[in-house]
Amino acid sequence: MNGLGFLSGSQARLFTLAAVVGAVLVALTVPLSSTHAWGNLLIASVYLTTLGLGGAMFVAFGYVTGAGWNVAFRRVPEAMAVTLVVCGVISVGVLALGMHNYAWHAHGEAGTLWFKQMWLSPQFWLVRAVGYLALWSVLSLLIVSVSRRQDRVGGTRLTIANGKLSALFLAVSAVTFSLACFDWLMALTPMWYSTVFAAYQFAGMMQATLATMILIGLALRAPGRPLHGVFTTEHLHDLAKLLLGFSCFWMYLWFSQFMLIWYTDIPEEVAFFVPRESGAWGAVTGMNIFLNWLLPFFVLLPRPSKRSGKIAARVAGAVLLGRWLDLYWIVIPALHQAHPESGSPLVGVAEAGSILLVLGLFTLLVSRTFGKANPVPRQDPLLEESLHYHL
Amino acid sequence: MSHVDQELRPPLVLGDKSLGDITDDIAAPMAATPSTLWWVGFGIAFSALVLGVVAVSYQIAVGIGTWGLNRTVGWAFDITNFVFWVGIGHAGTLISAVLFLFRQKWRTAVNRSAEAMTIFAVMCAGIFPLIHMGRPWLFFWTLPYPNYRGPLWVNFKSPLLWDVFAISTYLLISAVFWYVGLIPDLATMRDRTQPGLKRSIFSFLSLGWNGSARTWHHYETVYMLLAGLATPLVFSVHTIVSMDFATAVIPGWHTTIFPPYFVAGAIFSGLAMVLTLMLIARKTMRLEDYITVSHVDRMCKLMLAMGCIVGLAYCTEFFIAAYSGNAYEQFLFRNRALGPFSWAFLTMFSCNVIIPQVLWFRAVRRNLFAVFAVAIVVNIGMWFERFVIIVTSLHRDFLPSSWSYYIPTSIEVATLIGSFGLFFTCFLLFCRVAPAIAMAEVKGVAQVKKPESLRIPQPEEAVA
Repeated sequence: MNGLGFLSGSQARLFTLAAVVGAVLVALTVPLSSTHAWGNLLIASVYLTTLGLGGAMFVAFGYVTGAGWNVAFRRVPEAMAVTLVVCGVISVGVLALGMHNYAWHAHGEAGTLWFKQMWLSPQFWLVRAVGYLALWSVLSLLIVSVSRRQDRVGGTRLTIANGKLSALFLAVSAVTFSLACFDWLMALTPMWYSTVFAAYQFAGMMQATLATMILIGLALRAPGRPLHGVFTTEHLHDLAKLLLGFSCFWMYLWFSQFMLIWYTDIPEEVAFFVPRESGAWGAVTGMNIFLNWLLPFFVLLPRPSKRSGKIAARVAGAVLLGRWLDLYWIVIPALHQAHPESGSPLVGVAEAGSILLVLGLFTLLVSRTFGKANPVPRQDPLLEESLHYHL
Repeated sequence: MSHVDQELRPPLVLGDKSLGDITDDIAAPMAATPSTLWWVGFGIAFSALVLGVVAVSYQIAVGIGTWGLNRTVGWAFDITNFVFWVGIGHAGTLISAVLFLFRQKWRTAVNRSAEAMTIFAVMCAGIFPLIHMGRPWLFFWTLPYPNYRGPLWVNFKSPLLWDVFAISTYLLISAVFWYVGLIPDLATMRDRTQPGLKRSIFSFLSLGWNGSARTWHHYETVYMLLAGLATPLVFSVHTIVSMDFATAVIPGWHTTIFPPYFVAGAIFSGLAMVLTLMLIARKTMRLEDYITVSHVDRMCKLMLAMGCIVGLAYCTEFFIAAYSGNAYEQFLFRNRALGPFSWAFLTMFSCNVIIPQVLWFRAVRRNLFAVFAVAIVVNIGMWFERFVIIVTSLHRDFLPSSWSYYIPTSIEVATLIGSFGLFFTCFLLFCRVAPAIAMAEVKGVAQVKKPESLRIPQPEEAVA
């Protein structure tokens, strides 16, 4: 492999072009509405960061549960995890750039809001963001480096060591990921709160992570590619099962949040759903549910479609679009309320730009990091088990 | 590979057993006369059950005014016990269905008794809302059907009705799942029993099982389908129980995290109860080779994970109350931690969050006395969790003039003891009449010793 990882030169140029065009498109809309343009950058940065964090969590779940099936293609989520370093820096930049878009300054009165004012004070908020991203990056890099070291050393010692490291990482990131979701997404609607919000974002993150792994795995299993004969139909089947499960989990949490707020009809809580259920936003809500649950659920339920690369790839693509739409559905109406000029759910130039930016940048990054290590953890004691299991 | 097998994949059955040994070991306690220990346990459990029957008869005769409820605290011991028992009933289906779908082979050692436990726990849970109706003989009014009472329909918008549907469905599917899993073992018992009444019963219940490949194929298809159906049920039951509270507008009850948090809590408490029973059963029924220390280790890890999720949910609730800026939420949580019921809150928090952290250490997870102690502590903590949620949210409501306290009456305590009596009586009887471990499934995961005549030399042995 070259320095570009699994991409060929022309493919790499294509994805670079996508990223550059995406960035230019977003930049072009700044004069129209800088808030709207920034909203799309926020979506892109959260999308990128959670793909990295999701990859790291997938690796960690594997170690903690002593799983064997996922070892053969573990370098894919590991490569995703390493992208956290670059994506984290981008996120800090985007968050710093748009701090003024969080409208908590407008709610100046003290009293019962003292904690919120302290918690969301701009400096503390930004320092926390740096802290979360630094912790995630450092711990995921450690796990990945131990896994790569095992390629030289072998044995079970490093598998056990990574199990401990992974448990620590999961405990730390459960807390920090919750707070990050509250800070970056929930706080966009400053007077709204929902305790399940972080769990719901976790489900969305894992859905997108699994979809990404399916797409990369399928792309790399063709003859002559690095995972040929390694990423088998059994792996695809298991990943698609997990995607099906996480789609249901996402819907379960989305519905729990919606239903309990709808049922009690408390003004400060329904304020989140009211602007999202009428007119064009109502259609976006419907589309969100369609892409993230209805489609994956009904298509992936039969066994043959989970084992078909073609079908699984299409569903994975739809889920990745659904993840983008879910973030869009959270971010843009919130900005719209605070800044009416930022517009309706028009998927326009800025949106196209943010999607292209994510696609181009993430593919380039993941390909580069994938190329930096052996494509298969060849000394992992559970590799044999992973290569030869059948459902 | 062999050193890897030992370290990362410890054997699930110890002691180099043959298939026949497995059947003999597991079926032995059913054929022998009960030990003194069993009689002592049964005596205690049955006495508790009798106490419960007396208490329930009394409160039905006199009315539920015999409870310590008051106008402010309208739900307390009854619903606490109900949610506690429903929660206990979650581990069975989790272990048999969810862990089955996740290919966790170690589940075979504990799934049978965990499933039985599920059914008994759901039965215990059912007692409380039934008595709370006041006129339990009219329980069929909770079912929607055309009638001459008006017609008077049930309120489909009420989560209490959803509970009726969810829990009865859960009980039905759990019972079917348990029974289907029992069929091959019942056939084994049939084949081991001398002709007579006992054999006829086993024969009837094993549905003509003949052990052919075709029978096994049907069995495995049904088992897989039931596992797929039971998995959403594990989530739905406690989700709907949580909605009994979360659809209210009461601070402390209305919060969106309740559905997943209740499910995690239920699994947590269920695992604690499974561990409590299994540690006793493995000792008294001499099942140490089947429920090994490594099984206990894995259950502890699962329990720790669930405990941490529950702890995160507690902290999220406090954080969001502070963050929300809602004066009522803030008061409620301050009152929960520091008010008159702070003793209950502290019990809950230390039992569910702080003490289980010792399970991070492998040495603790492999020390059976320590594990037993932690499991008991979690059982207590999870009972208090429901008490804290229900009572502290109610006892100081929006109108300070109606603030009050809650003290359970002796009748309520006797009913709780009675429910434990029912649970343990059923469980002890179950251990006598059915194999406590799924023999057929254990045989599938054990590395069995083959008779010498059937052994084929392995390639590496031949080279050596």
